[in-house]
Amino acid sequence: MIVLYLYPFASSIYGSFVSDQGIVTLQFYETAIINYKADILFSLEVSLLSTAISAVLSILMAAYLRLTSRRIARFFNSLYRIPLFIPFVVIAQMMRTFLAPHGLLNVFLAQFGLINLETPLQLFDWKGLTIGFVWKQTAFMTLMTLGGFTMIKDEMIEAARSVGASVLRVVWSIMVPIARTIIVVALILTFASNISTFSLPYMFIGGSVPTTMTVDIAHRVMYFRDWGTANALGVISYIIVFAAAIYYMRYMVGRESYG
Amino acid sequence: MALCFAIFGAITGIVLWSITIAWYWPHVLPQSIGLDYWLQVLGFQRSWSLGAVSIVDSFYLSVIIALIVVSLAMLIAIPAGYVLAKYSIPLRGAILLLFLMPQAFPQQPIFINLMLTFYRLNLIGTIPGVVLAHLMASLVYAVWISSAAFKSVSPDLEEAARSVGASKLKSFLHITLPLAAPGIIASSVFVFLYSLDEFTGTFFIGLPFITTLPMLLYSASGFNMQFASATAIVLLIPSIAFMVVIERFLKAEYISGMGV
Repeated sequence: MIVLYLYPFASSIYGSFVSDQGIVTLQFYETAIINYKADILFSLEVSLLSTAISAVLSILMAAYLRLTSRRIARFFNSLYRIPLFIPFVVIAQMMRTFLAPHGLLNVFLAQFGLINLETPLQLFDWKGLTIGFVWKQTAFMTLMTLGGFTMIKDEMIEAARSVGASVLRVVWSIMVPIARTIIVVALILTFASNISTFSLPYMFIGGSVPTTMTVDIAHRVMYFRDWGTANALGVISYIIVFAAAIYYMRYMVGRESYG
Repeated sequence: MALCFAIFGAITGIVLWSITIAWYWPHVLPQSIGLDYWLQVLGFQRSWSLGAVSIVDSFYLSVIIALIVVSLAMLIAIPAGYVLAKYSIPLRGAILLLFLMPQAFPQQPIFINLMLTFYRLNLIGTIPGVVLAHLMASLVYAVWISSAAFKSVSPDLEEAARSVGASKLKSFLHITLPLAAPGIIASSVFVFLYSLDEFTGTFFIGLPFITTLPMLLYSASGFNMQFASATAIVLLIPSIAFMVVIERFLKAEYISGMGV
């Protein structure tokens, strides 16, 4: 484990700072930032956006599943978990058929006259990528959030309802704060997963500009043999994930003091 | 309703494409369908189309690699999980965290550096290389879940066995292991599925010789929608099957309690 993981991890950091001649340098970071600044921002934006959308959707879905006791809820319970088990590569292929200019989504919308098939929705860019991420990660986040919500006692919810709180208010002001630790963990894991995915962006938008950092890392290694810059990009992604984790933790724990 | 469409709509796409022979827009459904492409994909028929591949070889390769990974992972995880569960060793938290990192942190930089190391060790494009890469990332599932499984076995039971004279090994084999079996089996399946679906690591370490099913999906998706879709479905099946089976065990309440 040490060999398989810590060594490459350490060498990725080391390799980003030390050039071939063995001199400590920041040139790789320069190259990385100059060439790929747009892509770094792109990765960040897409990951943040998909994480945010997933979070909202999953909170709503988990709240619905928690608060309803109809039998339909059990059907949904199984339904929403499907994306959880589907690997990213399969999702990439699915999105290629579904979101293509004349794929199912566009043709479907055209049947209702919502779009004109001569100018279909072009989704093979950040929009499609976001859709792919949201499709997969919402299931994961709902699972975690529902776990958090299930621990909330019924009495608390009833108490809030009995003083006249609307459902949305109950969800936002009562349930989410109580489950916030789990929600924060889910947010961090989802964000980290989104920003470090290689398969989905590579298969989906591999050639276009801008693209994600992961695709750039692959290009750097495969075509330029430039491990230094690739590692620099990698370390930047570590920093982003780490910073996001710290930010979320601080933010969520910080709210407690205003409790 | 929207949820159904969202989830099934995407899946329908690949199902329809896999049975398509000709499908040009603006038709909503394929113009002609047939199982021809399935037969070609499964190797029963020769194919003349561009980008044709037989997935049989890749399928066997993927499955074999996955089985090897599971065996090795379990070999490591069962003792490791047991030790982590039963004995309070120092740095226990750190060790668990170490196993978690490959999944929580960006994986790709790790794989590319591993690629560099494997070059020198001549492991690129070989099965052992790919197995090691998969192992590194999936040991977390094996160790964490096994550790949780062993933890749930009450120590009283083991003590009871010991007190009637069973040796440590015997009590482990006959009492602890069977009781922890569901968790251990669940973790094996997780590792199996992970290895089967793994793309990033296999891409960097396995190319150009090792072509697992996800790699095939990637290369087919550029050329041939039907092949790609059929391959995607074949990849889907083990995961969905597992999901149906574990549906009864994966209650949301348990997730909230998982972890250290």
